[in-house]
Amino acid sequence: MPTTLELADLPPLATGFSLLGSGGGGATTILDLALRDSTDWPMTVHGVNELDPSLPCLGAAFVGATMLLGERLPGATPFAPLIEAAERWLGHRVPVVCSLEGGGLNGLAPFTLSRDRMIVDADLTGRAVPTLDQMSLLVDGVPGIIVTCDSGAGGVVLVETERALDIERVVRAATIQAGGAGGMVFAGFTVGELRDHAILGNTARSLSLGTAFLTNQFGSLSGIAAALGGRLLAEGRITSIDADPRDQHVTTYSIDGSAGEVHHLVARSENLAFMTDGRLAAAAPEIIVVLDAISRDILEVTDLLRARHVAVMQLDGPVWWSRSPDRLRHVVPSAYGLAELDGAA
Amino acid sequence: MSEALRLGALLAHPENGGVRTIAGPEDTEWTGVVVETTEPDLPADGNGRLAILTELPPTRPWQQDALVRRARDRGFRALAVPHADDFGAGTRALAVRFGFTLLHVDRPMLLAKACWQLIEARDALTLSYVRKVAQSIEYHAQGLPDLLRHLSASVGHGVALIDAEGVLLEVGGRLSPEVHAAIDFSPWVDLARMPAGTAASVRVDSPSREGLRLAFFGEGLDDRQVSALAVAAEVAMPAVAARILIDEINEVNDASVSSGVLRDFVDLRGTPDDDVERRMFDRGWRTTGYHLAFRIVGRSRLDARQLLRFVTGELGRISIDSHATTSGRGVSGWLTFFEPPASSQVERHVASLRELHVAARRSFNIATGVGSMASGSMGLTTSLSEAGDAAMIAVNRSATGWFVRVDGLGLDQLLLARTSNDAFVPIAQALLAPLESGGGVLLKTLSAYLDHESAVSPTAAELGLHRNTVAMRIQRAQELLAVDMSDPEVRLALQLACRAVL
Repeated sequence: MPTTLELADLPPLATGFSLLGSGGGGATTILDLALRDSTDWPMTVHGVNELDPSLPCLGAAFVGATMLLGERLPGATPFAPLIEAAERWLGHRVPVVCSLEGGGLNGLAPFTLSRDRMIVDADLTGRAVPTLDQMSLLVDGVPGIIVTCDSGAGGVVLVETERALDIERVVRAATIQAGGAGGMVFAGFTVGELRDHAILGNTARSLSLGTAFLTNQFGSLSGIAAALGGRLLAEGRITSIDADPRDQHVTTYSIDGSAGEVHHLVARSENLAFMTDGRLAAAAPEIIVVLDAISRDILEVTDLLRARHVAVMQLDGPVWWSRSPDRLRHVVPSAYGLAELDGAA
Repeated sequence: MSEALRLGALLAHPENGGVRTIAGPEDTEWTGVVVETTEPDLPADGNGRLAILTELPPTRPWQQDALVRRARDRGFRALAVPHADDFGAGTRALAVRFGFTLLHVDRPMLLAKACWQLIEARDALTLSYVRKVAQSIEYHAQGLPDLLRHLSASVGHGVALIDAEGVLLEVGGRLSPEVHAAIDFSPWVDLARMPAGTAASVRVDSPSREGLRLAFFGEGLDDRQVSALAVAAEVAMPAVAARILIDEINEVNDASVSSGVLRDFVDLRGTPDDDVERRMFDRGWRTTGYHLAFRIVGRSRLDARQLLRFVTGELGRISIDSHATTSGRGVSGWLTFFEPPASSQVERHVASLRELHVAARRSFNIATGVGSMASGSMGLTTSLSEAGDAAMIAVNRSATGWFVRVDGLGLDQLLLARTSNDAFVPIAQALLAPLESGGGVLLKTLSAYLDHESAVSPTAAELGLHRNTVAMRIQRAQELLAVDMSDPEVRLALQLACRAVL
């Protein structure tokens, strides 16, 4: 049975996506504010099995530096020209929309399209990830995927290729051309293909996580972790922040635990691994959430500053990734060249 | 693996591959050591040992954490790896948290060798020290300090030559007084161990100097190292004893050459002589400039060479070009100024010489004479001659502390020109001229009076005069000369003048 979401569900939903962002994925604020004014509430979310499997589907998301979206606000219909181009290329209308990156800002993206399209509760990552070749459909090699994206000044780029890495590189290049951030649409697949090749029920998980978090936000830290179905990994102060000597995108945060433990959080644009006393405690695809231990804000990687008092929690990653070693190798820390951090699960 | 391996002993080992503590306990010891290429090669049963890895460790903080963690989980208590000094604060904190010692080492194989020597191959350690002693003897040494420097540099520990009073010479460190006090001077070999350090010493059999010991010392040395160093000291001792003798012979030789040069120079009395000039120049003596000579003579028998050694040492404290050499039964020397010195400067240096004299009197029964300031070759001769004269006077001058300076005497020129000096007679005649008026009787009476220790009766007896006559003539002479005859200096001057004129 389809789920109906009221406007009141928006805050927990956004909070849930923030948690699934694992420190990345961008702040949900922009879309949260846009959707508050939407006249489309209540919105309906369909399960994959509730829709005709042959229905064409698309996914929409923002790509690039999500921080820029706060400075250069996206238009009222940021995805319209991209969808139009995709439909023109495919030669048919696409009536269903799913999410591309169900962690952070992009978890809310399908809801901006709810007026014209049916929302299906399926997602191509189940958490925030940095590159496009990590989309589940591409990881599993589903054929016929096309991608459209902004190239700036109203221009649209359409990519059709068998090589997933090209999508990442071409879209990344076009996005830089578009000013560092822009929209992106995946299409060329059906609802039926999502059944095996996507993370299902991610929106429902987000809503439940967000509700649990907001209910327990100011309780004990271990209480929050328990309510989220996760583990409290650490509480302490960030004592040093070190850039990785080999990869400038990698940062290691040293956290002095309140009981004297020595923690290290390793992050790129998302939190990727967490180590306590030299032992791995959590690693991607597990979700590592960092909270401000005092304000209880969910912190992004860019919010982690020296001397900040933080709490770190682990939430289970999407099971979909762990079903085969081939899927897993796309999201574990070694996918980013970080040795000795795989396999905490 | 019979005995424990102490971190302190490793740190004190001269060839430990540059090991140093990065984090964790420093006062620690291990049951043994394991050397492997990488951490996965380490055995699972660390059993409180030290692990040495030869390959470079990972550079990322979490990998470094994991390395420390795994080594500790295997039961090791310490880990030595190259580049551990690059480990971040987090990893260091982790080592502290585990009570696990993290060591940086530049050359792991050398550290492994040092461990092996300390744990299993004590003879190898001893042999390596002995070989180093042998190597250091092979090199030419300028003197005893140089030999000790060679020994210290190649053995890698401090070396000291000590007697019961304290340290005579030390190189490569400082032997703490606490350790010195703990050294037993009676046995052939002694091992002293104190919290402040450790020393292995051996008696030095030197015919000329008794009660000397040669000690190797350091901090943190364990028993095996100290025992090995004791053997090294035994091997080094004959070389040190021989060096002491050689240095003494050289010193005697050098002193006699110097003394000969000075004698030849003085004999020239200022006449230029190329050969003597060259020999003086070879010794660094220059005749140009302004000279202030001094002479120190023994009031009783003394070893002029020992006195010279002392004087040379003390002259080092005077910040002016100075030279000294043995000469007869004493030491002659001079200070040389390149510019004409101000009188205050001269006074200051005379004061320094007096301090030298006072210091020397603590060990030697001596008297010192200081000449006047004079320039050039002739001036040096003059000043040396004056100093010699002053010294002769000083021998009997307890009132001035056996220190006499030519410029400090009222009738100085007269006194110190002495009878041997051609300049003396005219001066003496000038001084005694007032007495000529009496036809010479006053002079004769005065001379006899002074010769009889200023006693009237013996003088009268010798001259066949009445006591009152003698007393009257002396009174008259005193009036004519206008001098105070109660002053011993005046009496002596008059006596010498009488000797010269009569």
